[in-house]
Amino acid sequence: MEDYAERIVERAIDLGCQDAVADVGVNRSYQIRFAQNQVAISNRWRDTSASVFIVHGKRVVASDIKDLTKIDDAVERLVKVAKVSQANPDYAGIAKGPFKYGRLSVDKRIVDLSDGSDYVEAAVNGALQEGAKECAGSFWKYDEEHFLRTSNGVKGYDRRASLYMSIRALTSLESSGHGVACATRLGQFEPWKAGHKAGRIAKLAKDPVGGQAGVYDIVFDPLVFGSLIDQVGGRAGAWAVLAGLSPFAKKIGKRVAAPSVTIVDDASADSIGRKRFDAEGVPTKRTAIVRNGVLKTYLHNTSTAKKFKTRTTGNAGLIAPDANVLFCKPGDWTRDEIFSECKDGLWLTNTWYTRYQSYVTGDFSTIPRDGIFRIKKGEVVGAWKDVRLTDNLINVWKSVAGLSKNVDQVMWWGEVSVPTFAPYALARKVRITRSAE
Amino acid sequence: MADLDLVDFAVDYARQRGATYAEARFEHQISEDFMLKNSVLDALYFGEDSGIGVRVLAGGGLGFAATNSMTKADVRAIVDDAVRIAKAAHRKDPIVFAPEEPIVTNWSVPQEKKLSDVPVEEKIEEVLHIDRELQALKFKIPARYFHQGNKQIDKYFVNSEGSRIKSFSPRVRLYYYLTLVHGGSAEQTSQNYGWSGGWEAVREIDMLRRVVEEAKSMQNSLEHGKKSPEGKMDLVAGPQVSGIAAHESCGHPTEADRVLGREASQAGKSFITPESLGQRVGSPVVNVCDDPTIEHGIAFYAYDDEGVRARRRYLYKDGLINEFLQNRETAAILGTRSNGAARASAYNVEAIVRMANTYVEPKDWGLDEMLEDVKYGVYMKSFMEWNIDDKRYNGKYVGREAYLVEDGEVGAPVRNTVVELTTPTFWGAVDAVGKDLEIHHAGFCGKSDPGQALDAALGGPTMRLRNVYLR
Repeated sequence: MEDYAERIVERAIDLGCQDAVADVGVNRSYQIRFAQNQVAISNRWRDTSASVFIVHGKRVVASDIKDLTKIDDAVERLVKVAKVSQANPDYAGIAKGPFKYGRLSVDKRIVDLSDGSDYVEAAVNGALQEGAKECAGSFWKYDEEHFLRTSNGVKGYDRRASLYMSIRALTSLESSGHGVACATRLGQFEPWKAGHKAGRIAKLAKDPVGGQAGVYDIVFDPLVFGSLIDQVGGRAGAWAVLAGLSPFAKKIGKRVAAPSVTIVDDASADSIGRKRFDAEGVPTKRTAIVRNGVLKTYLHNTSTAKKFKTRTTGNAGLIAPDANVLFCKPGDWTRDEIFSECKDGLWLTNTWYTRYQSYVTGDFSTIPRDGIFRIKKGEVVGAWKDVRLTDNLINVWKSVAGLSKNVDQVMWWGEVSVPTFAPYALARKVRITRSAE
Repeated sequence: MADLDLVDFAVDYARQRGATYAEARFEHQISEDFMLKNSVLDALYFGEDSGIGVRVLAGGGLGFAATNSMTKADVRAIVDDAVRIAKAAHRKDPIVFAPEEPIVTNWSVPQEKKLSDVPVEEKIEEVLHIDRELQALKFKIPARYFHQGNKQIDKYFVNSEGSRIKSFSPRVRLYYYLTLVHGGSAEQTSQNYGWSGGWEAVREIDMLRRVVEEAKSMQNSLEHGKKSPEGKMDLVAGPQVSGIAAHESCGHPTEADRVLGREASQAGKSFITPESLGQRVGSPVVNVCDDPTIEHGIAFYAYDDEGVRARRRYLYKDGLINEFLQNRETAAILGTRSNGAARASAYNVEAIVRMANTYVEPKDWGLDEMLEDVKYGVYMKSFMEWNIDDKRYNGKYVGREAYLVEDGEVGAPVRNTVVELTTPTFWGAVDAVGKDLEIHHAGFCGKSDPGQALDAALGGPTMRLRNVYLR
């Protein structure tokens, strides 16, 4: 496969390109989707394709070449397109290699896994044991190889393999819970725990009543707090900042969260999103986006870094930089202390559909789903339904009052779009709204 | 194009391997995407995506496997994969598909001006031209992002029941984000337009006029906008607002796979159950349709990705829940026939139940007629923030362009009007439906795992809602 990557880069340079990147990826992932407590469909992929980035006279063209038997034709076509495109004056090159990368870390037992049925069964049984009646979700075995070559001397190889389970358990249409499990080692994969958690929440969410609008202290479960962390990572991308899609513009060095909040991007650490290098071949590393509540940096590739007079953070994508893997630094509270400090509030266990009225101000809303619980004096006193968190992203982050010592690795269907390590969190005076009837 | 005999081979081989049903879908998509940020062409994406996906029923289970390698060995390997993983499902109740007649046909979408004949330079110039005209307004627009995308999709579908369907579908899109600033305040918009057909889309959608008018309305809102009133009042909702409501609180909850729980973990379920057909959800003037056969709607198709002929579906009719969107699997469970709603976003994902062009059916009211009876209310033409819960019962749409209406007269702009209503409250309040159907507002509808962002048109005419709570 490295020959394909090499060939693409050589051909692009031969045809007059100044920069070229080729990442030949081999995808052998496998998935089981389940619903109504049984397998709905199983999916398997055998794809090999090249993500390509070429620059001819500052004219940038990106592509995916699927037919690797016709590389020369494909590259010639891309160069032809580049020649009639428009120059990008903001383009500032790609990183100069070669680089040294961290060691490969792949569990061969995951690579060799060919049947995930037992894991699905374990997750479903875990939920049913807690009292759930209906379960749905996905089991994933992610299995990818990457062969990277660039015209700036980068040669990289990566193997990424991990396991993931997402399970939603229901006792009725309006009583549900969600759990996820992530692992890079087969021995650490505990889908049944995700099932038990989903089932417990679903059972506890029995007979929810319509919630009331107001301002409440909120206990965020890791899955929903992960969504808020994901918003920070996504909005901290330099491309998003330049496009007007971020409340973090002109806020470097300013307070954007409570002093207890530190959010780091780090794809070099162990996680299901671990990777050795970014799309330019820059070794991934630990980058503090927010430290002690203060915005420290945007996430950069080489070009955006130059525009902001800084250095790449190793977050290049094919075109725009983005978050890799996010970590929220744990606090010093126990989970019980988080709950006991919530005197009059809500416990939110999951959310979806986060949308902004203004990315510039950070005014947004998101809709809690699965268990929504009324908390009084630290205790669950009932379940709610039909409410919406309607506030401002930076206000919510500034209102964080406590973080738990333990963090969970979470990722969930768009809402937590990259693997994220999230604690339980307590936030004060968050605005809740509900539909009028 | 690859050797299409391999598509037929895949189906025959799957039957030999024990599949009781097999289908293979080859897709070849050429895509061009031009990304213009603050007058700079950030990048041009040129993609040529192709491959084959095979779906089989075997041992009562459903298996799907895909590859982009069109060699006999690799096609054979994915068929083996699909049959093996289908059989491993060990389902208590076997999956069956509702019956369909085999179809042998070719269909394609006509292009007045072929996308392949338009030079790249001309396509780039179209976006640059819009950006220049926008800047000529001399408003303060610190962030301008345009994304113009074109797709040409060839498909060849074969199934073990004798269907052989070839199709060609060209599509054009423009979406943009703008940020206008005035007097220390900012206003943002995000708009997305789509067209099935050729480069004539630029003329037909009239993108330049739309962008310029939007910028002017944003400036007006920034200069003269007032706080939106709070309380119960009338709402006159423009085509974009009725379109998003049709999609979110009618189209999604009537997807049969959602009703049956197959998407419960991700996209969610529905407040509608199989027993809900015939129940009231809106006023008698409400008809909401989903129609893949609307000419030039971004989601036009003649046959779906299971080879079923497309047709218009009345999801809500006379205010009653009337019909679900079905594929062959859901239709079999519910004892009916598919109505051709199965679609996949690419060769490498299964076809599932999807909306196409979803819209509120127009009636005969003029905008002035609707406004003249409004004593006090808001005329909301477009929205920015929106969301809805996973059972599709609690929707929220926040105004982008909206105006106060007093005694039938449209007055000053009002900012960030919040419509946060339950689905029956929203549709139950509609008392008048206009004739000004607009169908080219497009979305990327997200569903399934792995996520399938799919072309969908969100349309409608202006509607009037009586006495609803706004803030």
